[in-house]
Amino acid sequence: MLKVANLCKSFGSLVVTDDVSLHLEKGERRVVLGPNGAGKTTLFNLLAGEIAPSSGDVFIDGKSITSLPVEARAHIGLSRSYQKNNLFEGLTIGENLSLAAAVAMGLSGSLLRDTHNDPELRKVVTDVAAQVGLKDMLEMQVANVSYGNRRQLEVGLALANGPKVLLMDEPTSGVGPSMISAFHGLLKTLPRELTVLIIEHDMDLAFDVADSITVLNYGKVVFEGTPDETRASSLVSEIYLGDWDDDA
Amino acid sequence: MFHQTKLKTFVLLAILVGLIIYTMNGSYFGRELVVEVAILAILAISVDMVSGYGGMVSLCHGAIFGLGAYAYAAVNVLMGGPPALAVVAAIVAAFTFGFAVGAVTSRTRGIFFIMATLAFGQMIYVMIFDSKSLGGDDGMWGLTRLDLSAIGVNLESGVQFAIFSVLCIGLTYVVAALILRSAFGRTFSGIHENEDRMRALGTPVWKFKALAFGLSGSLAGIAGALAAQHTMFVSPELVIWTFSGEVLIVVILGGLGTLVGPVLGAVVMVFLKHEISNITTYWHMIIGILLIITVMAGGRGIYGGLEQYLARRAAKAAPASGAKTDA
Ligand SMILES: Nc1ncnc2c1ncn2[C@@H]1O[C@H](COP(=O)(O)OP(=O)(O)O)[C@@H](O)[C@H]1O
Ligand SMILES: [Mg+2]
Repeated sequence: MLKVANLCKSFGSLVVTDDVSLHLEKGERRVVLGPNGAGKTTLFNLLAGEIAPSSGDVFIDGKSITSLPVEARAHIGLSRSYQKNNLFEGLTIGENLSLAAAVAMGLSGSLLRDTHNDPELRKVVTDVAAQVGLKDMLEMQVANVSYGNRRQLEVGLALANGPKVLLMDEPTSGVGPSMISAFHGLLKTLPRELTVLIIEHDMDLAFDVADSITVLNYGKVVFEGTPDETRASSLVSEIYLGDWDDDA
Repeated sequence: MFHQTKLKTFVLLAILVGLIIYTMNGSYFGRELVVEVAILAILAISVDMVSGYGGMVSLCHGAIFGLGAYAYAAVNVLMGGPPALAVVAAIVAAFTFGFAVGAVTSRTRGIFFIMATLAFGQMIYVMIFDSKSLGGDDGMWGLTRLDLSAIGVNLESGVQFAIFSVLCIGLTYVVAALILRSAFGRTFSGIHENEDRMRALGTPVWKFKALAFGLSGSLAGIAGALAAQHTMFVSPELVIWTFSGEVLIVVILGGLGTLVGPVLGAVVMVFLKHEISNITTYWHMIIGILLIITVMAGGRGIYGGLEQYLARRAAKAAPASGAKTDA
C-alpha cells in the first residue's frame, strides 16, 4: 500500500532522513519509534509532500507520488495529523471537521451546496466527532477548548479527510492517561483495511496496537520487527530507553 | 466563516428600505447621494468578500470597477451594442481580470499581496489612460442606460434609477452571501484561517483564491456598469487607485468580514462626507479620526460594535446563554 524507497533528506550538511525504506501492507498498523530529533516528523513531511526529498521515492498502490504536490496526495487518500496542533482556530469544531469532510466527499468546490447544512456531510462530521470523543462539542470554538480536545480534533481532521493511508504524528503527545487509553480504543475501532503509520512515544500503546515497529535513529532505520522482537532487542532498548527520560 | 444572522438581514433590509424612502422623498441631490452609496456599497461588498473572508486585502478593486465601467462603455459606445450586452461585458471583463490577479498572486501573502494588487490596478490605469481607442484622458461619452420598459421601469428617470441602484445592492449582497455560504465559500474561509492545513487536506489553494477573486471582481464589475450608466460617460478618473483605498476604508469602518457592515459603512461614508463638507473642508480628517476610533475599538467596525452591544445586552438579560458572534 505504502512503499518508501531509499528516501534521503538533508538540511544543509545535516542528514535528517538517511536512506529510509519502508513497506506497509494494506491494513497494516506500523508504529515508528525513535528519540527526539531522529527524523520521524521529517519522514512524515516527506511522505505527505510538504517537503521534497533530496533523493528517493514514495509509492502508493505501486504508483510513484514523489512528484505530486501536497493536495494531490491528500486526494489519493494520504491523510495526516500533526505533532503540533494545526487547526482552524477561529472556527468551531464542527466547522473544522466539515472542511476536511467536504474535501474528501468532493464537495469543497461546490458553489451551490451549503455544506454547513448538508445532511450527508453532517453525518460524516458527527460520526468522526463521536469517534474522537468530541460528539457534544461541535458548536464550540476551537480557540476556547482544552489542549486535549485540540489533540482529539487534530486526529479528527485526518479521519474526516477520508484516508486510505493515515499518518499520525505523536497523537497522544502531552495528554493525560485517560485520553491515551481513549485513543487506544479509537485505534481498535478503525476499519481494518485502513493502513496506519503512527509516531508514538507511549510504549504500551505502541506494543499493543502495532503489527510491526520501525525504529529510527539519526535519520536511519536501525530496526524493524514485530512488537515482541522489538521488546527483546537490546539495540532498541539501548537507543530508545537510553533516551527515555528526555522523551517522557 | 459566514453566517446570515437575523441581525444581518434586519440591518440590510433597514438600509435598503431607508434608502428607497429617502429617494422617493429626496431632492435631485439626494438621489445622487443614494446612487453614490449604492456604487460604494456594491464595491465594498465585493472587497469584503475576498478581504474580510479570505484575507486577500485588495487595492485593485477600484481598478476592476473602472475596468467594468470601461467594458460597458466599449460595448455600448464603440461597438454600438445594447446596454444588456454591455453589462455582461462589464461582468465578464471584471471576472477575467480578477481571476488572473487571484491566480498570479495566490502564493503571495500579506504586504506583498497588497502591493501586487496595487500594481495590477495601476496596469489597468495606464492601459486605459494611454489607449486612444478608449478615449485616453478624455474618456468616452454618450452611454445609454438599460432599457427595462418591459417591466415598466424607466431608468432615464432619476428616481427610478436610484431605486434600481438600491436594489442592485440587495442583489449583490445575496450573490455574495450565497457564494460565502456555499461549500466553496467555506473552503475559501478555511484557507484564510489556515492555508497550509487546508492544502494538506487536499485543497488546490490557488484555484480557490483565483475563482474567489474573479467572482468578487465580477461584483465590482456590476458596480462599474452601474456607475457608467449613472453618469453616462467614463474617464480614467474612475480607475484611480485611491478609490480602492477609499473602498477599503468603508469596509473597515463598517466592519471587515461582516458583509453587511460594508453596506452600512458606505451609507455612513457618503452621508457623513456630504454633511461634513457643508461645514468644513477637512472631512478627510474627520473620516480619518473615525477610522482610528473604529480600529482602536476592536476593529470589527460599526456593525461589529452593534453586534457586540446587542450580544452584551442579551447576555445581561439571560446570563446563562453563551452568545457566539458570527462572522
Ligand atoms: N526545516 C528544517 N530545517 C533544518 N533542520 C530541520 C528542519 N526540520 C527538522 N530539522 C532537524 O531535523 C532533525 C529531525 O527533526 P524531526 O524530524 O522533527 O525529528 P523527530 O520528529 O524525530 O523528533 C532535527 O535535528 C531538526 O532540528
Ligand atoms: Mg517529531
